[in-house]
Amino acid sequence: MRNKKILLVVLTFLLVGSVVGFSTTAIAQEEEPVTIQVFYPVAVDAPIAEILNGYIDDFQAEYPYITVEPVFSGGYADVQTAIQTTIDGGGEPPAVAVLLATALYDLINADYIAPLDGYIADMEDGEAYVEDFLPAFLANSYYDDQLWSIPFQRSAVVLYYNADMFAAAGLEPPTSWESWAEAAQALTVTEGDTTNWGMHFSSDWPYWLFQPLAIGAGQNILEDDCTVVFDDPAVIEAVQFLIDLSGEYGAMPAGVQASWGTDTTDLASGATAMIAHSSGSLAGLLAQSDFELGVMPYPGKEEGTYASVPGGGNFYIMKGAAPEKQDAAWKFIEFLSRPEYVADYSINTGYIANRYSAYETDAMVTYVEEVPQALATRDALEFSGAELATQNLGQVRGIFHDYIQRAINGEMAAAEAMAAAQVEADAALADFCP
Amino acid sequence: MSVQAPRKQLKPLPYLLIFPTAVFVALFTAWPVLLSLYQSFFRQRMNIARFREPTFIGFGNYIDLFSDPYFIQTIKNTLNYILGTVPISIVLGFLFALLVNRKVRGIGFFRLAFFHPMVLPMVSAATIWMFFFTPDYGLFNTALGLLGYTGPQNWTGNPNLALLSVIIVAIWKNSGYYMIFYLAGLQNLPGDVYEAAALDGANGWQTLWQITFPLLRRTTVFISIVAFIDAFRTVDHIFVLTSGGPSRGSTVLLFELWQQRFEYQDIGASAAITVIFVVVLLAFTVTNFILSERKEA
Repeated sequence: MRNKKILLVVLTFLLVGSVVGFSTTAIAQEEEPVTIQVFYPVAVDAPIAEILNGYIDDFQAEYPYITVEPVFSGGYADVQTAIQTTIDGGGEPPAVAVLLATALYDLINADYIAPLDGYIADMEDGEAYVEDFLPAFLANSYYDDQLWSIPFQRSAVVLYYNADMFAAAGLEPPTSWESWAEAAQALTVTEGDTTNWGMHFSSDWPYWLFQPLAIGAGQNILEDDCTVVFDDPAVIEAVQFLIDLSGEYGAMPAGVQASWGTDTTDLASGATAMIAHSSGSLAGLLAQSDFELGVMPYPGKEEGTYASVPGGGNFYIMKGAAPEKQDAAWKFIEFLSRPEYVADYSINTGYIANRYSAYETDAMVTYVEEVPQALATRDALEFSGAELATQNLGQVRGIFHDYIQRAINGEMAAAEAMAAAQVEADAALADFCP
Repeated sequence: MSVQAPRKQLKPLPYLLIFPTAVFVALFTAWPVLLSLYQSFFRQRMNIARFREPTFIGFGNYIDLFSDPYFIQTIKNTLNYILGTVPISIVLGFLFALLVNRKVRGIGFFRLAFFHPMVLPMVSAATIWMFFFTPDYGLFNTALGLLGYTGPQNWTGNPNLALLSVIIVAIWKNSGYYMIFYLAGLQNLPGDVYEAAALDGANGWQTLWQITFPLLRRTTVFISIVAFIDAFRTVDHIFVLTSGGPSRGSTVLLFELWQQRFEYQDIGASAAITVIFVVVLLAFTVTNFILSERKEA
């Protein structure tokens, strides 16, 4: 009896051992074990670390020879700083990092990242893989006809509105600047000392939320990595419209508003009827609001036109990592762009699922039925232009911020401010674009 | 060759004992400063391919900085920030210390209340204040409203108030910290001096200004050094509250340093700012040290 038991145990071990041994040799072939680091930021109100750890477990089960070490490194700027200091200090950078899609040119110029075309060419159907990404999210992935990044956690600028307030006031969702401003004005209600605003628009880091206004007026603020368009009449008109929302229509608090962190709470609590914000705030807003939440792109200047702009982070492979680590990093990126993971990440974080195929997964179909707003964020991208990404981005963006804030604070007229911004930005780009 | 007996034998032990510290100071303080000094004479920008390799440009970075109106504004902002935070925090710290230096039941609670902002990380403090500053319903505006304040409420977005708002947070954060030093100083004061003053019929005001304050002079010197250095090196709340804006209105030297290094990737300019930083702090500390030593003698 006892011997039989031992025999059984031994046999079981042999069986399991041979199966495991067989399967690992089958998958891993003669791969050497490799450990890669992934630097990632947390920029939204979601348990990113927990979610990523789950994906990494799945990935390692499929690629037993690869070990992935996720390294949480703060916000986007912190991740980039961490990588810069590692490389400048002579250390080996992580194999893969999630950085802003717009960081592209700075990363290429500093020689930090590796192009990905080789990996795409080696795929069975690389073209289909790339074409499955929503085109708006690939806008900042190409340079010099090479592909440098793969979309990961992507978002878009949208207009959130309190649909119950609109219905109570007999208003339809806006379809042009005019109806937008009128709705904002109609929904601005002052009772005693407190004002419930029609619109909140955070402007302490304004280029992103502003861009859809310019696009909606017919002129984005950039043309390519060397050309910014700040002083075009359409852009000036967009700046003026933003100012008019508070000045002319009295529908928004005046001056620069450092309200990114409080706007979502204000919408949820009814202190404002509309906010401009990231699609990434959708999950949090849905959880907080006890009214019907509307999501749409910004209305454009002309009737029936709309505008938005993408944002968020992409995967980059770091040039300084050993080649076998870069290869492992690509496998990780490819794994996370499978439709089921893209869908799951979107559902759990609020980021927009960045591939068409993700919307066909069962999980996403069910989710979209429950939360139709998730589809509205994706659809906003149909009207999007490119996010501000230029050479010398930090400085060019700083100049734009400086002057648009002067205009918003009434220190300069819109046209004057944008003309000055154009001159300085051209100078800041001169060294980069001979 | 005549052998001369050394008058004093070199004792290795003291040098041995400071050796680890000396190595650390050399490695983590002296070396980076020297490296920055060296780099500040070169043009090197990591995000321009052809400027990635450093080229010697002499004082080019310094000339560029001081001919840039933004940098001049940054210096003005820094001076205003220091003038706004240092004296007020010290005076408040002193007053708080006087207030809580008495034997009353529950005094521990008040001491804790004044001191607790110091325990908070600056980022948390700034995040709390971000909500305090909210227009309309923010606690700060509500409190000011009760006192009859009717001015602008948009503290962090108003170009005239943004720097003031980060100054307010710094004062709130630091006064309690300086209070602790004054409190320790107060509790070490000799009681007989006060007895003598009372016998001579000095009133409370005279006692405070003629006895307490002069006796705490060393504490004040120490606190002013700490406060001055602190005003230079705290920057976290600016990231949270204003991002240096609006229109760079609350950009101070350290924020500018970060921006040049990591946003503009301009290694030469950021090294030059580092050198300016070190020179100012060193000059201040040395002057302060010499002055206080001289008076002591």
